[in-house]
Amino acid sequence: MSITVLDAREWQTVLDLRTGEKVESTGPLVDTVKGVLQRHPYPGDMDRASNRWVTDTALDLMEGYRPRFVFLTYAAQYFSGRYNAMTKKQRAEILSEAFLEAERFIDASGFTGIVMGTGNMTPLQGIIDVTEIDGLAISTHWSARYAGLYGPGPDDLKFLNEHPRIERIIPRDAVCGLFGGTSEQSLRVPEYLMLAREGYAFRTISGAMKVPVMIPALNFAVPVHAPGRVVEAITDIRGIIERDLAKHKIALIVMEGVGLEEFPLSHVPCRNGKEWFYYEPGDGQYLTVSTGEHRFYDYPTGYKYFDELDSTKDYPFSGFFTSIPQGTFASGFAGKSIAVGNKSMFMHMVTGADIAIECFARNLYNQGTMAVIHREDKL
Amino acid sequence: MRCNYCEKRCQIEQGKTGYCRMYTVDENGVRERFPHRWSACGTSRIESFPFYHAYPGTRSMTIGTASCNFRCRYCSNAYIAKEDPEVLQGRMYVFSPAKVMDTAKKLGCHNIVFNVNEPTVSIPSLLELGDLAKSAGLPMGCLTNGYATEESIELLASIFSFFNVSLKGLSADFNKRYIGIDSSSPVLRNIRRLAQDRHVEVTTPVIQGTNDNEIDAIADFLESVDAEIPWHVFRLLPEDEMKGAEYPNIRAIDAALRFVRMRLPYVYFHNFVGSEWVNTRCPACGSVVIERFSLGCGGDRLNRFLCEGKSCPRCHQEIRLMIDEAQRNTEEAHS
Repeated sequence: MSITVLDAREWQTVLDLRTGEKVESTGPLVDTVKGVLQRHPYPGDMDRASNRWVTDTALDLMEGYRPRFVFLTYAAQYFSGRYNAMTKKQRAEILSEAFLEAERFIDASGFTGIVMGTGNMTPLQGIIDVTEIDGLAISTHWSARYAGLYGPGPDDLKFLNEHPRIERIIPRDAVCGLFGGTSEQSLRVPEYLMLAREGYAFRTISGAMKVPVMIPALNFAVPVHAPGRVVEAITDIRGIIERDLAKHKIALIVMEGVGLEEFPLSHVPCRNGKEWFYYEPGDGQYLTVSTGEHRFYDYPTGYKYFDELDSTKDYPFSGFFTSIPQGTFASGFAGKSIAVGNKSMFMHMVTGADIAIECFARNLYNQGTMAVIHREDKL
Repeated sequence: MRCNYCEKRCQIEQGKTGYCRMYTVDENGVRERFPHRWSACGTSRIESFPFYHAYPGTRSMTIGTASCNFRCRYCSNAYIAKEDPEVLQGRMYVFSPAKVMDTAKKLGCHNIVFNVNEPTVSIPSLLELGDLAKSAGLPMGCLTNGYATEESIELLASIFSFFNVSLKGLSADFNKRYIGIDSSSPVLRNIRRLAQDRHVEVTTPVIQGTNDNEIDAIADFLESVDAEIPWHVFRLLPEDEMKGAEYPNIRAIDAALRFVRMRLPYVYFHNFVGSEWVNTRCPACGSVVIERFSLGCGGDRLNRFLCEGKSCPRCHQEIRLMIDEAQRNTEEAHS
């Protein structure tokens, strides 16, 4: 049973991750995790101290658990830039702080760091309003480039195909042709996937009033810092970690919203998708890194997420996940592993680490923190 | 000319606006400045608003407009409710009532809930939408601060069949300092009125050291109206002008609610992740009859609906519920 500890500041509860039911779980690992959460309240997604929280929390957790593999995410620079206009100087400062935090972790832990950026951000130039069509357009996961299209009429397709801000519209069969997969998997793929041109974002039903300032750029390649290793695609990262862990303790560090243009460490550009498709920052990209294979199908961009929010859903505290993804590297790793991140409540699902600690923030509203203990048997 | 939609009763000159900036005056009288402009038009589970006793487990279309007639210091939607509505217009959905209804149908929604801001600032548009929704058999509900005039509350009651009224505090001092109104009396009056023939739930955000001393008095009031009104006690999420304030202590507020639960059967304490006080218990035998999860900040959801119709499956006591047969049709609605 995977156990989750929720911390809402000065108050904690322990639950079964799958059912959400309260459990009476005690033991040294649960106590360790509770103590870490208590000592490190989350400052908030937009707070400059957010990245410091990642380093502090990870180092504290390591004191009690001694992992060999650590998966970290730093996201303050992504959230801050997404909705707030920043000067070049401010942007440079927050990026510098993020990398200093990663460096502080490496220095304090002695781990060997493999550092990846999830891609450049670019200023929003305009929106593509697809709310007036007869069919239904759906955006998921804060996506800018992609939107799913359902039940379009002939007029819709004409309008959308001629839209100057839409790069192309790809039917479900062609999407599935790119990624393979079973017919069951293809059911989640939208009837059509719409692709925005760089700098533009779709506006769909369910869109928020908050208009982004910066959105992910065309990131067909993302930077990976892994000195001395051959990395050509993000699917190669898992293999490198597997090999290197035999010799070193490894920290895989993901820097959100940082691409080839701004990455300050030595790096190589790595393929971040297939053909016309690239991953935007989110669960699909993380799963691809942690499993070493493309994971477009788990929760495909533009899928009808609300059709899956039935009341009996398992994993109620895990966002749209209804099961623990299979094949993640850390879940099969014999050594100890942890993950800490301030991106979203998905680290415990996408990394497979024995223990994951993450912020519990919904639409940037700070609710507290969440820890998940998948494995207690390695202590 | 005086605007009589809310208890502010602004005196508005021709071409000018009042406190909420959503109405103006022309030769025909008070009129809405931005009709049929919506800040939201998406889906949510009904528990997330929260409505715990109306159509449990259903998918709702969530709608809202802009602005508000309150200026709460802790507003969690300040970027919509406090912003000049004129500034927001470029980002609004311009949807006719028919388009809103069509979208609700496409999204498989069982009902429509107005929840982003205060419905009193957009009554003419809502009247039009309400007419269409009624003829289509789609129930409408709303979250409101309850500061409508007696005339307007009748209009709202003609549009909406279920309400969650935010009763933020009782004392004049609190209402002046934190909300920007002179008195909570109109809110109390409107809760009494709506409870006569509409489904009503009440929400109170608790700020420790500020209005937590009013918990018993608010409970007294609710008991005097109808002890079975579901009451959502919210732990304040420090936002907006109160960002940086302490998060209220959960144990302390729970302790303050201990005796209240003995006289009000449906008291919930949430707005924080993992709350243990979101299930409905049968007032007679104490069995859990509805289980929910709280993800905090508008993320609540149904886990298990255990009632048999509107009754406790164990002792058959009637549970306060607004449900209908169409409500248990999720598969149908989603297809």
